Amino acid sequence: MIKLVDVHKSFGDNHVLRGLNLEIDKGKTTVIIGRSGGGKSVLLKHIIGLLKPDKGQVIVDGVDVAGLNDREMNEVRKNFGVLFQGSALFDSMTVGENVAFPLREHTKKKDREIRKIVSERLRAVGLTGVEEIMPSELSGGMRKRAGLARAIALHPQVVLFDEPTTGLDPVMTEAVNELIINTQRDFNLTCVATSHDMQSIFTIGHKIAMIYEGEVVAYGTPEEIRKSENPVLKQFLSGSLEGPINIL
Amino acid sequence: MSVISTEAKVGLFILIALIILGYMSFQVGEYGFGLKKGYLVKAVFDNVSGLEKDASVVIAGVEVGRVEGVSLVHGKALVLMRILPEVMLERDASVSIKTHGVLGDKYVEIVPGTVGEEYLLDGGVITNVKKQADIDQLLRDLGSISSDVMKVTSSLENVISGEEGEANLKAIMTNTRELMENLNNIVKRNDEKVSVMISNFSNASKEMERAFTSLNEIVDKINRGEGTIGQLVKDEGVFDNLDKTIASLREIAEKINEGKGSIGRLVNEEETVDNINASLKSLDTSMEGINKYITKTDQFRTFVSYRGEYLFEEDNAKSYVELKLRPREDKYYIVGVVADPRGKRSVTDRTVDGTTSRIEEWDRNELLFNAEIAKRYKDVVLRGGLLESTGGVGIDYFAFNDDLKLTFEAFDFDSERNPHLKFYAEYGIFNHIYLSAGYDDFISDEGNESPFAGFSIKFEDEDLKYLLSNVPIP
Amino acid sequence: MRNLIVAFDDLGRSVLRTVEEMGSILIFFVSVMVWMFRPPLRLRLIFKQMEFVGVKSLFVVVLTGTFTGMVMALQGYYGFRMFSAESMVGSTVALGMTRELGPVLTALMVTARAGSAMAAELGTMKVTEQIDALYVMSANPIKYLIVPRVIAGVLTLPALTIVADFVGILGGYFVGVPVLGINAGAFVNNITMLVGLDDIYNGLVKAAFFGFILSLFGCYKGFTMTGGAEGVGKATTEAVVLSSISILVSDYFLTAIMF
Repeated sequence: MIKLVDVHKSFGDNHVLRGLNLEIDKGKTTVIIGRSGGGKSVLLKHIIGLLKPDKGQVIVDGVDVAGLNDREMNEVRKNFGVLFQGSALFDSMTVGENVAFPLREHTKKKDREIRKIVSERLRAVGLTGVEEIMPSELSGGMRKRAGLARAIALHPQVVLFDEPTTGLDPVMTEAVNELIINTQRDFNLTCVATSHDMQSIFTIGHKIAMIYEGEVVAYGTPEEIRKSENPVLKQFLSGSLEGPINIL
Repeated sequence: MSVISTEAKVGLFILIALIILGYMSFQVGEYGFGLKKGYLVKAVFDNVSGLEKDASVVIAGVEVGRVEGVSLVHGKALVLMRILPEVMLERDASVSIKTHGVLGDKYVEIVPGTVGEEYLLDGGVITNVKKQADIDQLLRDLGSISSDVMKVTSSLENVISGEEGEANLKAIMTNTRELMENLNNIVKRNDEKVSVMISNFSNASKEMERAFTSLNEIVDKINRGEGTIGQLVKDEGVFDNLDKTIASLREIAEKINEGKGSIGRLVNEEETVDNINASLKSLDTSMEGINKYITKTDQFRTFVSYRGEYLFEEDNAKSYVELKLRPREDKYYIVGVVADPRGKRSVTDRTVDGTTSRIEEWDRNELLFNAEIAKRYKDVVLRGGLLESTGGVGIDYFAFNDDLKLTFEAFDFDSERNPHLKFYAEYGIFNHIYLSAGYDDFISDEGNESPFAGFSIKFEDEDLKYLLSNVPIP
Repeated sequence: MRNLIVAFDDLGRSVLRTVEEMGSILIFFVSVMVWMFRPPLRLRLIFKQMEFVGVKSLFVVVLTGTFTGMVMALQGYYGFRMFSAESMVGSTVALGMTRELGPVLTALMVTARAGSAMAAELGTMKVTEQIDALYVMSANPIKYLIVPRVIAGVLTLPALTIVADFVGILGGYFVGVPVLGINAGAFVNNITMLVGLDDIYNGLVKAAFFGFILSLFGCYKGFTMTGGAEGVGKATTEAVVLSSISILVSDYFLTAIMF
């Protein structure tokens, strides 16, 4: 489904991705873990084509997206939904208009039909009666939900989650995890999430990949990861100061 | 939230701005450059210093045109003037450059020529160019006068100054003194005779006073422009012929005092002046009638145009062929055909087994028709009628000497779909070639919206024009 | 010696930065132009921006226009009184407003009000990943966010300017005629005689150009900002400074070409 082959990416002197290889399974949730600023978000942006690799290939459905032009890329993107870290709801529109946005952009559906889909999607993420509210009036958790409703509005095959639980309280974190699991199952999605929240990683992940120094150092099921003897992974999971990870 | 929608607010705002623009356009400039009215005449001057583009052209103080441009031809100044179409100039009309006040702007003054003379046509040349009696000329004359005065004083000085001169002066003084003494003696001896002489003098001066009063009256009449002499004096440059005029005036005054001469009688006789005025007036009315007929046929114009528009979204071109009949400057009719790549829409309701289905068909080979009536208000044209074989209206706005045209059209009103709206701008690059660009059907709910670019060719059919001007127009 | 080398180094860097920025503004300009002519034309968004740039700036433009006209009448009066040519105040105010002050002051006020807001809004959208979200949903942000703002700027500035011209002349009239006692007929006559249609039209062409500049630069600064909340503030300031300078500089060249 999605395959990254020897991807390199630098920002100035900062060599973020250094020959990264990763294959993401269809219909499963893959969680990417790693240090803050270690290239997790950069990896997601490569998958969706917001960034192009300096070297290497990003293959989606057998096509190297790095070589596509804008129009072709747009076609690929219709199969993707993204939930951004801060939800990235448009401030100038109501929640209903936000969720309707991809539908208006990419389908020729009539107004009534769009309104029906919007309320369906909002109900699927546990929100009702918020269509006419502005995003600024919502709480952080509700915004995540609304953001997810927008991400799945077009019924995509793949949904990317950028730090879905960062900045939420433990109860809300659990609720969002629950939501991701349910949505993944109900819509049979391929999900890719980045996180460094230990609870979330093992709750939502079918597969877990650890990025360190711009490469995938460990990849496997939660069980395999938990049992792994990789010193980097062990230190990261235990949150210990002792080990190979350079704290400075 | 507010009750008024965004569109309404923006629309109101733009409307206010357009009303203000329209109001200001009407206020400034007597005949705005939007309408290029009038015909061109030329005149060649020796010197036009200070005459600017857009300076007034006046007849008897009434503005009848503007200076279109000034250029140099063989070391002389060629002045192009645009004259209002209703003002006809005779071939022998004279033209001169004048100044408002002492330091004011320069303007061109035209003095009409002989009544009955042929009229100047577009591009005609006024050959009767008068020398300007302007401030420069006046200053030059003043200069020569003062130099004359200087010559006199210097020769006087030559006479008086020096030893010889002094001696002469002394001799003159002595002679004068002797003369006075002699005179005194004579007077003493003839005291009685002198007093009689003085009373005679007094009577003579009274007579003289009376003569001056009558002279004054005559001059006043002439000044007021009464009578043919008045006209004559007003028209001719007084400066040039001042001496001669005064001399002849004196002669006339003398003759009139003596009660002689036919001119004197003419000046005083009111009836004669009235007769001349009446005959001039009747001639004027008959000329007016002729003018009206000539301008009317002259204004009837016919235009033929082709316009092609390439629709980017359709990858296809739309063509228009139009005939524009313009009986008056501000009114015209448009008939034309349109070849649309989409063709003509026809809707038929068909009932099969009780269920009615509506069938929409597009006939690609069918032509669409335009038939509009248009009225022009200054820079704005409102038109309506048949647009692409449906009812519709349009508005055109002209700017930059009619080179730029902004157009908005709305037609094909149907309750089931959005009306066909279209706007575009057209700009004339050469004489008959125009470039256009715009957006067709931009609120279409059927995916017909498309930007377009194109060009058009327009020409006025001269042959047709002459043919039609022989047919009486109601 | 070391200081000298450092100074040269700084100079070189700043020149390089300026050249780089000019290049990126040019690229930005080209992509805005390309997207402007790609359908669909988003009328709703354009109307929304026209409301923001035009309708909501109306009050401040009317205020500045009126007072500018009043001040010009007052200043002109003291000058022309020396030559007993008080009625020339009318045409001075009218020509000054239509040719120069109407377009320039309107553009500067709109820059301060709307140009800065464009930079701040787009900067915030960038920080909160809303611009990325647009890309992801295959809605090009240039088409969706910037083209409507630029079109709104080009369309509304002439409209605001004609309003400013008008209220400026009115302001001049109310100071000139009732307060200073200039003859009303002479005042109005002078305006209609000396002001031509081209004065008004050229002022409006200028205004459209300024509208393009201020919306393009406001959007550019917001769209290319970096560095979080602080960056938004910096982008806003830079947008106002860059637009204002460009308006005044281009005004000189436009005037040189037109009049």
